[in-house]
Amino acid sequence: MTAWNIRPIASALWRNRTGALLVALQIAIGLAVLVNAVYVVKQRVEKIGRPTGMDTANMIWVSSAGFAKDFDYDASWREDLATIRGIPGVKAASLMSSIPLSGGGSASGFQARPGEPTPGDNVDGNTYDVDEQAIAALGVKLIAGRAFEPQEILPPSETYGEAPQAIVTKAFAQELFPNDENFVGKTFYNGLSEPTTIVGVIEHMHGAWVGWDDLGNVVLFPRIKRGPGAVYLVRSEPGRRDGVMREIEEKLGDSNPDRLLRWVRPFDYFINQSYLDDRNMAIFLVSVTSALLAITALGIFGLATFNVSTRIRQIGTRRAVGARRMDIVRHFLVENWMVTTAGVVAGCGGALAVGYWISVEYELPRLDLYYLVGGVLTIWLIGLAAALQPARRASAISPAVASRTV
Amino acid sequence: MFGYYLELAWRNLRRSPGLTALMIGAVALGIAVCVMTLTMYRAMSGNPIWWKNDVLYAVTMDFWDPQQPADEDKPELPPWQLTYRDAIAVYQSDIPTHKVIMHKAVGIISVDGQQVKPERAMTRVTTKDFFAAFDVPFQYGGTWTDSADTGPEPVMVISSKLNEKLFAGANSVGKRVRWNDNEFRIVGVRDRWMPLPTFYDVNNGSLEEPEDVYLPFGWNAALEIFSAGNNNGWKPEDIKNYQEYLASENIWIQMWVELPDQASHDRFKAFLDNYAQQQKNGGRHARPLNNRLTRPDQWLIDNDVVGNDDRVLVGLAFAFLAVCLLNTVGLLLAKFLNGAPVTGVRRALGASRKQVFYQHLVEVGVISSIGALLGLALGGLLLMGLRVLYTVDATDAGGTQALAHVDVTSVVTALSLAFFATIAAGLYPAWRIGRLPPASYLKAQ
Repeated sequence: MTAWNIRPIASALWRNRTGALLVALQIAIGLAVLVNAVYVVKQRVEKIGRPTGMDTANMIWVSSAGFAKDFDYDASWREDLATIRGIPGVKAASLMSSIPLSGGGSASGFQARPGEPTPGDNVDGNTYDVDEQAIAALGVKLIAGRAFEPQEILPPSETYGEAPQAIVTKAFAQELFPNDENFVGKTFYNGLSEPTTIVGVIEHMHGAWVGWDDLGNVVLFPRIKRGPGAVYLVRSEPGRRDGVMREIEEKLGDSNPDRLLRWVRPFDYFINQSYLDDRNMAIFLVSVTSALLAITALGIFGLATFNVSTRIRQIGTRRAVGARRMDIVRHFLVENWMVTTAGVVAGCGGALAVGYWISVEYELPRLDLYYLVGGVLTIWLIGLAAALQPARRASAISPAVASRTV
Repeated sequence: MFGYYLELAWRNLRRSPGLTALMIGAVALGIAVCVMTLTMYRAMSGNPIWWKNDVLYAVTMDFWDPQQPADEDKPELPPWQLTYRDAIAVYQSDIPTHKVIMHKAVGIISVDGQQVKPERAMTRVTTKDFFAAFDVPFQYGGTWTDSADTGPEPVMVISSKLNEKLFAGANSVGKRVRWNDNEFRIVGVRDRWMPLPTFYDVNNGSLEEPEDVYLPFGWNAALEIFSAGNNNGWKPEDIKNYQEYLASENIWIQMWVELPDQASHDRFKAFLDNYAQQQKNGGRHARPLNNRLTRPDQWLIDNDVVGNDDRVLVGLAFAFLAVCLLNTVGLLLAKFLNGAPVTGVRRALGASRKQVFYQHLVEVGVISSIGALLGLALGGLLLMGLRVLYTVDATDAGGTQALAHVDVTSVVTALSLAFFATIAAGLYPAWRIGRLPPASYLKAQ
């Protein structure tokens, strides 16, 4: 017997082509979905895993809403911050105008020179009003300059204008001053040509909207957040976050009847919320794709089982005239491999077509061919594994079957 | 004959329970995933006010930056909201039968002399027509009057959900409630109302529940209420106080009008253009005249309420269903061919091809019905799982709860999809088995 017997296997397959065709179609769809699902999931996982630049694991946010007519905002935040800073396990606490990575916040356009703003020179940045403990409370790395001094912090203001000093991220500074390396002491301007001098540069920090291209452009101004709602940022010693949260809730909960302590939440809450859709998309794609591959594997298994069960006499006969068990196993595996390969060839076309659609929908680069190669190998392996058991069962058929009349 | 075929089908299915379970499982799984994604998709893309689609219009005007459009991806569209001063000016028109200007705010609700903790409530600061324009149902009372809007008078409408918390669901019309420590009198309790998506304000969480408190629009200026939702500006302005904020180029007001016929539509459009032209002549802005009246269905499309993820998921769900059905066809074919000798005997005894075809089709029908029912149940379970996935904090379950709400249309669509898909899948195997020559199978016996 020659090594592989492609021709007789192919002609046996051709006699029951409908079943094989159905399985090949499933494999084609399976491959097209698998390759693209892996591609999209990888994008999402990378997006969620981007470093934020902050000590997120130990950060807590506290929201207080003053609502009474005679509510004294100024006294309230001073008292709250003093209370929070006195809690053991608290590293730093700051007032901040909004919460990074929460999907809510402010952004403005700035430029490197004064005068009428033009779209080309405009650099957008997420803006935050913070106090002197913000750098310590955020846990960001200051790579140049200094943090804010207490006497620099401006009182709350109705205006949306900026402050004379700012601490900015390196990404923002680089975009404003592309030809410079030292940014401390540089001056930039808002739309009203009001100047702001950079006093410190942060290595990296994320702003408000996770889907925004300028997420890494952050500008911190030394100013107290406008009342009557306050948002406190608290950073605990490593591992003491939950205890500190309970303590804050206890101490601030009923300290002032003119306001409502809305919530005390870990930073993860907001980050998870912002990435919820991305995370769920990844979970959804992974589960549906796995189910789809499992069903395809069942289809392969079913076809192989059927082929074995309808050919019991032929297998017996082949065994009786000298075929070894190995030959029978090989016959079915090769037959199955041919079906899988037909599906894979069609699936490659499908995968590229779906990949094109996905790249248009998401404005992503075209599908990398590595994914296709990986997908083809995976499908081949799945096909082989699914057909193994029926093939071995076939090889166990006794040669005596051939001489029996059923 | 049908009863007999049914009995035969039942017997056949019981003969190979493993294979039967596999087929039913495949159908059920395919249907379940489709039901889940379609329900999700419908929740996001459906037009929740379809019956007024021809008369309701979102009003937008382009007073944006002369140098660039508000949305660079859709340069032909005006910004999605209005400035306060434009909204107030256009609101003066008497052409619409209903007109609404509004924004989202947040306030603290408290009740004097009652043991209810003050509570944060999402608030819609709006005009009296909000309820009539959007067909919002009332449980008690009704909306306020025109004079309450301009007065402004201290009246408010609350949701039945808030009414449940504050007054245990009793008729609270006439009761007094404090909003940010200002006393208001309740004039109406809004009944359960859950438009999905919240078409009237798609910028501020389109899958969230509608607000719990409604205040007359005039309170903006009186209480200096800032928007708690989307607020955008393009012009560098030195805003020192609330009055300057109201006069600024910031966009934060949503506007809707109801125009009963084409004539009133055209008149209102002319009114808008005329107003914009006057502003232009006054030297306000340099953008080309671009005022739009947009129907709810187009509004949802313009504002990308349905994301790319949703479209990709629907595609994936149908690919999944296709694989499940192909699988079932393959299994059915194998099963029917396995039973070919029996069919051969039937044919030899006089059963026609047609009868054999029908007999097998009934068997397919049984499988598809069971599969579809199981699939629906499973789809419901998956939707419940989805609710868990979309809830970050159990105490803060937002409007995504509504995702798990399967409406009648969805069920009917899914059921027919399931049934017809499987029947279609069974046609070929049933036809094929009917065409087999009986003799070859009889010989082997």
